[in-house]
Amino acid sequence: MSHQNEKCEIFERALDFICLSHTFSRRDFLIISGVTVAGILTLGTSGGNKMPVIIMDKAEGMLIADPTKCVGCRRCELACTEFNDGKASPATARIKVNRNINFGPKGIYNGQRGQGNWGNGLITQDFCKQCPHPVPCANSCPNDAIVVQPPTNARVVDANKCIGCKRCQKACPWEMMSFDSDMNKATKCFLCNGTPKCVEACPAEALGYVAWRDVTDKIPRRAIPTA
Amino acid sequence: MAKIGGWVGKILRVDLSTGKISTENTIEKYKDYLGGTGIGYKVIWDEVPIGTKPFDPANKIIFSVGPLAGTGAPCNGRTAVTTLWPTCWPKPLVASGHMGGHFAAELKYAGYDGIVIEGKADHPVWLSIIDGQVQIRDARHLWGQGIRRTTIEIARQLGPETSVAAIGQAGENLVPMSVVMNSFSHSAGGVGAIMGSKNLKAIGVHGTGSVYIAGNKEEWEKIIKLHLSLLGASNQNVVPNKPQPWAEYYAAGSRWVASEGRRWGAADPAIETGACDPHHLNRIAYRTNNAAFFLGEGAWRYTVRGNGCTACPIRCHTMLKVPSVVSKYGIPEIGQNTCLGLLFGRLFFKPPPEGPKGQAAIEACMVGMALADDFGVWCNYGQMQRDFVKLYYNDTIKSKLDDKEFKSYSWEKYEKDDPSFLFELIPRIARKEGELGTALGLGTGYLLERWGIPEEEWMKDDSLWYWKMGHPKHHSNDDAGQCGVIVNTQYNRDSQCHSHPNFTRNGLPIDVQKRLAAEIWGSPDAVDAVGAFTPMNIYKAKMAKWSVLRKELHDSLSLCNWMGPWVASPLKERGYRGEDSIESLLYSLATGNKKSCQEMDQVAERIFLLHRALTIRDMGTKEMRTRHDTIPEWVFKDSSDKAPFTKGTIRMDKDDMKIAMEMYYEEMGWDKKTGAPTSVTYQRLGLGKVADELNKKGLLP
Repeated sequence: MSHQNEKCEIFERALDFICLSHTFSRRDFLIISGVTVAGILTLGTSGGNKMPVIIMDKAEGMLIADPTKCVGCRRCELACTEFNDGKASPATARIKVNRNINFGPKGIYNGQRGQGNWGNGLITQDFCKQCPHPVPCANSCPNDAIVVQPPTNARVVDANKCIGCKRCQKACPWEMMSFDSDMNKATKCFLCNGTPKCVEACPAEALGYVAWRDVTDKIPRRAIPTA
Repeated sequence: MAKIGGWVGKILRVDLSTGKISTENTIEKYKDYLGGTGIGYKVIWDEVPIGTKPFDPANKIIFSVGPLAGTGAPCNGRTAVTTLWPTCWPKPLVASGHMGGHFAAELKYAGYDGIVIEGKADHPVWLSIIDGQVQIRDARHLWGQGIRRTTIEIARQLGPETSVAAIGQAGENLVPMSVVMNSFSHSAGGVGAIMGSKNLKAIGVHGTGSVYIAGNKEEWEKIIKLHLSLLGASNQNVVPNKPQPWAEYYAAGSRWVASEGRRWGAADPAIETGACDPHHLNRIAYRTNNAAFFLGEGAWRYTVRGNGCTACPIRCHTMLKVPSVVSKYGIPEIGQNTCLGLLFGRLFFKPPPEGPKGQAAIEACMVGMALADDFGVWCNYGQMQRDFVKLYYNDTIKSKLDDKEFKSYSWEKYEKDDPSFLFELIPRIARKEGELGTALGLGTGYLLERWGIPEEEWMKDDSLWYWKMGHPKHHSNDDAGQCGVIVNTQYNRDSQCHSHPNFTRNGLPIDVQKRLAAEIWGSPDAVDAVGAFTPMNIYKAKMAKWSVLRKELHDSLSLCNWMGPWVASPLKERGYRGEDSIESLLYSLATGNKKSCQEMDQVAERIFLLHRALTIRDMGTKEMRTRHDTIPEWVFKDSSDKAPFTKGTIRMDKDDMKIAMEMYYEEMGWDKKTGAPTSVTYQRLGLGKVADELNKKGLLP
């Protein structure tokens, strides 16, 4: 399918979605309206320089994590990268624990009064929310390299398309995009095609793989610790 | 070799005298020594001149890890710290300390298999390692601060993921009984003052690199899952401590303490451990609670969770939350550690059944951890505390201190088991304040010498656990008869070897242990039931050799010898067998350098032989049997005067132990008369040059 056709299909799918009998919340309606307008604008300038607004099918599954059970062993990060990529590489892991392990998501400002091993013991596991539209990482990609992949409909990086610009890293409100400097490609959680290695690896039953639901408005954006 | 994994390829060298920072190729120079203590001994042998004292700038301190550190191999979180040992008495010799935490993994991700610290800085410094960027930084503002403050300030500069290995005031003040500590509660004892002597306050390390697995990733996943399936609880105890629906056996002394009805009571909300069926690999972390193991049922309600090292599902450090200590003692409500670190404060008081019990015992532990893990004081496997109790109650402390100093301690608080007494004692040890603080900080050998107490007195008192050279037993005849005794003669500090107790104390009935022993060491007679020992035989010597070699193998690969080896498992369907070659399977796949179990043991033997050669060289004698491999008198005594090899005693027999040592020497290829390795043995293990050097000094048998 050509690039142009793909865009048209996305737009058509969005229109189908609107026409179907669907109970909208007011918020949904506003989002869909916005999409339609943006989509029309995009269609109107197809072949021009403007970025498409990508509407993706919702994901089928997602990770969940219980910080009160995390024991801080990092086996999830290691399973993610060793079993998928053949290397132990927490920096490129698509589940992120180590950055919160000592002081929690708010970093070190709280000293010993925050979370993590140096605080109250709580370790927050950061995971990909498999965002519904608008998908920030996908939208930010200048080469449409973040695509939906069946059967889980996880948002995944198409390594053939990724040009290594790292825009997606800046776009994710939860800083869940990783960058594999060996490959010079972005990488993100692809749910291991439905059997996540991290979930299997957790020795404390702190991770789960569940039916997708929208948690994007429930989990605060990551505060970027500068210290 | 085609593709090399495991190692990340470089050893970092930092000369603090000149400020020179350089690297060398791990594989070219150290592949035959794997990593960890292997690299440590090699550097000391090659580079530290005979006669160097621990605090001399010419001494070196080597932080080294092995090819499995930072991978997903279970239990790989330990960093070996090798140097000339300051509490080894009467003459410092080579030894190593081992810290868990996240330091080992972060070092690998930063691109280094080890750090060799040389020389001495002219002012306090700390070492910053962020991937390839290594800097010596000014630590004058950190000097005088505790480990907690130091860590926080360095993490503020390098980022919250940084693993910081720091010394406290004890290390700065050159107190030999001092630690370096990382990841809140993971310490290596005895080496804090070596860092202090070099003006090195801390090493902060964080890496974003990778450790590559050379082999096929599906194969790697399979072997990791196999290894996970064989794990027990802490110390590889493979049966629960009370009956469970899934368990054929149980043993009251097991560290597998999870059970229906037990829970991490201070988790928010509380978490039931459940029965922890060994097939449920997603519940391994709940099996162990070492606070409950050491402090009793009362510890469950204060348990927040287990904690521990990178990649280890066995969380042997227990995080405790005890709100009462905030108002009572002004310390944080959360504390965590394991074993002797956990018990640090409690052990200063009279041992059970006297001394603090229940809540009071837990509070003493909390105070001890809060102080010792900040000031950076080491316990020498509890020897400091056992010495203290003995010296107080036999009035030695009173006789050695002047009246003013003696009265400056609140002894009435001490006798009432009041943990607030520790605020008077532990900081003074760290600061070398007064006669008592100074003497306790020296370590047992030098303390006894200073106070004119003959070492023999300590060697005949079994309640002191004292073994030799300033250090205690660490799993000896009390856990494994002759094998335990042999192992305890071999090192220049406490042996720290868990290969043997992790089998004999795994909780399986003796008939199952004997069946497994026949497969591993050639005969069921290799093991006895504890307290029902039989005379020496060759299979016990084989087990002793295996125990020492597996310890060195683990310390060099970066596998935890507090958890391994894994020759028994909790799996009934396997007949409770483990896998004797798990180390070689992991090593071969990770590195791409295929080695059999026997070949791995041979590398371990080379590493341990180098330790032996260093000991001989630096002692300046080949008379190891009589001057080094000594056994304290208490081993041959029994308080009820039970005869050796009768039921209910761990007493050993002197003549039998002579046979035992000879059998062991023969297994090792060492001269039976002196206990010194023969030239042939050095040649066999590729250490011909080492033999030549010893030969020149007349140190070959």
